[in-house]
Amino acid sequence: MFDTALTTADFIFLAKGAGMTIVVTAISVLIGTVLGVIFGVLRYQLGPIWAAPLIFVLDICRSIPLLIQLVLTNAFLGTILRLNLSGFTVACIVLSMYTAAYCAEIVRGGIEAVPATTRRAARSLGMTWGQDMREIVLPLATRIALPSWIGLALGVMKDSALVYVVQVTELLKSTQILITRLQEPMLLLLICGAFYFVISFPLARFGGYLEKRWSND
Amino acid sequence: MFNYTFQWKQAFARLPQMLDGAAVTMQIAILSMVLGILLAITLTMFRLSGSRILSAIARTWVEVARNTPALFQIYMMHFGLGSFGLHLSPFLSILLGITFNNAGYLAENFRGALKAIPETQTRAARSLGFGAAGAFGYVVLPQMLRIAFLPMTNQMVWAILMTSLGVTVGMNADLYGVVQDLNALTFRTFELFALAAVIFYLITKIITIGARLIAARLFRY
Amino acid sequence: MNHKFVVGLLAAAAFAAPAQADKLDDIIASGTLRCAVVLDFPPMGMRDENNNPVGFDVDYCNDLAAALGVKAEIVETPFPERIPALMSGRVDVGVASTSDTLERAKTVGMTIPYFAFEMAVTANDKSGVKSFEDMKGKTVGATAGTFEAIALEKQVQEWGEGTFRPYQTQADVFLALSQGQLDATVSTSTVAQSNVKTGNFPGISVVGKAPFDIDYVALFTDRHEYGLLNYLNLFVNQQVRTGRYAELYEKWVGGDLPDLTVSGVYR
Repeated sequence: MFDTALTTADFIFLAKGAGMTIVVTAISVLIGTVLGVIFGVLRYQLGPIWAAPLIFVLDICRSIPLLIQLVLTNAFLGTILRLNLSGFTVACIVLSMYTAAYCAEIVRGGIEAVPATTRRAARSLGMTWGQDMREIVLPLATRIALPSWIGLALGVMKDSALVYVVQVTELLKSTQILITRLQEPMLLLLICGAFYFVISFPLARFGGYLEKRWSND
Repeated sequence: MFNYTFQWKQAFARLPQMLDGAAVTMQIAILSMVLGILLAITLTMFRLSGSRILSAIARTWVEVARNTPALFQIYMMHFGLGSFGLHLSPFLSILLGITFNNAGYLAENFRGALKAIPETQTRAARSLGFGAAGAFGYVVLPQMLRIAFLPMTNQMVWAILMTSLGVTVGMNADLYGVVQDLNALTFRTFELFALAAVIFYLITKIITIGARLIAARLFRY
Repeated sequence: MNHKFVVGLLAAAAFAAPAQADKLDDIIASGTLRCAVVLDFPPMGMRDENNNPVGFDVDYCNDLAAALGVKAEIVETPFPERIPALMSGRVDVGVASTSDTLERAKTVGMTIPYFAFEMAVTANDKSGVKSFEDMKGKTVGATAGTFEAIALEKQVQEWGEGTFRPYQTQADVFLALSQGQLDATVSTSTVAQSNVKTGNFPGISVVGKAPFDIDYVALFTDRHEYGLLNYLNLFVNQQVRTGRYAELYEKWVGGDLPDLTVSGVYR
């Protein structure tokens, strides 16, 4: 049953695709988290009225299919502005905004979960807003937000499968290319699925473990 | 200003076709949610049943659905099953793919919601004479659905967005498929997809606001 | 006064240069020719055992780059992405078996034909489709965004029965065909023969011609790059003249060399 036409060259090809998935995910999550923290803090500080434009833009990133976001950004930056950006760049830009949009909500939720009394106590002790944020809010909010953030990062990794539309050869596309040549869809798809599973499952469990450990029971 | 001549009229002329596509999108999303909720409740009951096999089935389903990409699941439904001779039409492939995904995520949401319901509820129900199924169905389930209502709304939005993946399995009647076909004809990529984006945004906004209104009426206490 | 004159002259020269440079100059100056090639379309474009791009279109792009004196860069584009890739500046020329339809000519500039395809019907052996007419009422499909997909979809609508499904890649179409999810497909006879010959897709065979017009395909580039378009036209002519077209055809397809002219009209 296991005689297969897969060669080492093919495994290397798949590994390159997997590497591309990881690179795109890592860059997007990194930039997206930084942006998300900034947006989340802004959103919290400015309140719902002044932050309305920001809320609107982030809402758009969460309400439109990722495929359309990728195609639209590609068309806008490419055909209209005529910037000669590679598909990889466009994919990272779109995924970063996508991550930032969800991360902003997570960060906002984290900040709001810090008891107001604690923060007022900090300010009344003479801490500036910056010190309050760094010493009091950051540790507490991170505890609350980290499990959700891990979930978000894993979600971005899974959604990275969609960047094939901007010609980035990530894992799922590489698998499809091999299926074309070798005609073993089941085996190749199982390998592809196993890869995502092997990365996502332990991290998701770890997030669950952290959540349990840090919960207030 | 831009080195491009926008031709919005071409996009707007195709609006009726796109709205037909949006209707198909909603069909798929709603069907997949209904089936997904039913399956998720079943999976939750499997986990509570105490049988090792049923519990293992439920756990495997949930873990696979939550740890693999949705595109992968949909592709599997069509081409993976197809290699065994099991042919699903594109509509069924995308529907079952999204349902599989929904069921996994919702089952996990339900599990979290159940943890928030104190055991005393079940015990009180049993002591009033409900059977095990009755206690679950009449007392625990409504509370679980209420707690999980917000995650369910999120999942509904995701289901709508996931229908766009139908093009990979030959589905061209949903909104994304229609726009892709139109794009191949006219190459007005930006105009067409921008219009589709607006339609998707409106749909998801209506669903979210509608859900909030329903929650306000239904969960008044 | 003297050095102001020189500065003025230099400024005039600096402003004059960009106004004259066109894409042909840009390609030669940059040293790289980026071609859009579809690698999902044997034998025009495909991947060999080392997953490197090979095929008629790949060789054609290499020939073009050699003629220009630059390096060739093969940019893989799926069928629906050929023209968008050019529009967004990701490729310079499209050597991607693109049918020269009038609709496309509104957006890009197309050269004279460099290849011609006949359309063939490939069917799953178990479906009972033995000719084009047999496809009526069956489930048929083709690659989204291609000339034959648009024509086939129109035909299915005219027949009024049967279903049409577009798949994203040629490979997906043939995979679905061999799995029996499609009863038949219309594709170019070259890709049909090539796929059937590999034996990768069991249970399918070519059953006849499709009565669509001969599909002439052209190179394409920006609509207003007349310099480059003229060069490409001459290049296609020279490929035929020097026998290179016949040589490549024999290497990748074999059989009767298709005529690239339409009789009775000048161009």
